Amino acid sequence: MMRYLLAILLCAGPVSAQDFSEGSEAKTWNLYAEAPARFEATVVDILCELTGDCPQDCGDGMRQLGLVRTADNVMVLPMKNSQPAFTGAAAELAPFCNQVIEVDGLLIEDEDLGASNIYLVQRIKAGDADWIKANTWTKKWAERHPEAAGKGPWFRRDPRVNEVIGREGYLGLGPEADETYAEENF
Amino acid sequence: MQNWLKISVILLTGLSAQSAAAAEGTRIKVTGEIIDTWCYYSGVMGGPDAVVGSAHHTCALWCSAGGIPVGLLAEDGTVYTVLKIAKDAQSAGGDTQLSLAAHTVTADGMLYERDGLKYLVVSEVVSDMDIVNPTHEDYGTVPPFSFPEPAQ
Repeated sequence: MMRYLLAILLCAGPVSAQDFSEGSEAKTWNLYAEAPARFEATVVDILCELTGDCPQDCGDGMRQLGLVRTADNVMVLPMKNSQPAFTGAAAELAPFCNQVIEVDGLLIEDEDLGASNIYLVQRIKAGDADWIKANTWTKKWAERHPEAAGKGPWFRRDPRVNEVIGREGYLGLGPEADETYAEENF
Repeated sequence: MQNWLKISVILLTGLSAQSAAAAEGTRIKVTGEIIDTWCYYSGVMGGPDAVVGSAHHTCALWCSAGGIPVGLLAEDGTVYTVLKIAKDAQSAGGDTQLSLAAHTVTADGMLYERDGLKYLVVSEVVSDMDIVNPTHEDYGTVPPFSFPEPAQ
């Protein structure tokens, strides 16, 4: 009898510490707690999932999206796309709102910092389509900000970021603090 | 129904109830810094003490504008991933969260927990203490290039 109970409980409970590295082609970022992970998941709007506040388009890239893994129903939080440019994952996943897709990237698990089920998505595969790279954020930003066209990375040209820096300074402590820092460090 | 089957049904019912309860929110008031979660969790820019406060203000702006989730790092070290602030549900690059980058705030809202992470739906920012953590005094700016060398 105990064998049956144990089997049922194992099936019912969340599957923890699974290895999702099989078949992954994720490139390392040399992060302390990274592990390659390729898995199938449903793209969900996290706010919708938790509270029932559910726009049809999952927020069109402006809300954080989750990946509910088919294998164990765990909701993974994709924080980063594949670009080394301070860019998130929501815009990459938004076209697949409420769809089942396959993703490949890096899982971050760091117990000391409370990081659990954190993800950097590098590739996406929807149905029979080929894999696509999760690297479109900067292109989408450029389309939204034609007025900010120019040389250099997006984050040096972003109007909202530059407005805050112009007002609060790079340190966020005001222009005088910036002046003092520059005098002491350059 | 055999006894073992009855016990199984009871246990499974209990587990289902537990899962459902995990989606129910709890009202909390919490004080902490609005941080860039990726740099904090990944260690890509250095240790956790270096990716908060004034040292990381500009990078926090970049990451927030770039759609990386922001978190509220509470005084006890707990990180709450912020999904909404007042009426602004744009948690991937929204204006409200951008305006609070590296600020220490007290937030009143609903806490949701799922799969090892805590999520916060802020109903009200009760107080905004601006940046109170002058980490640049110990770490400079993180990353260093976030403070560009002034033109001569």
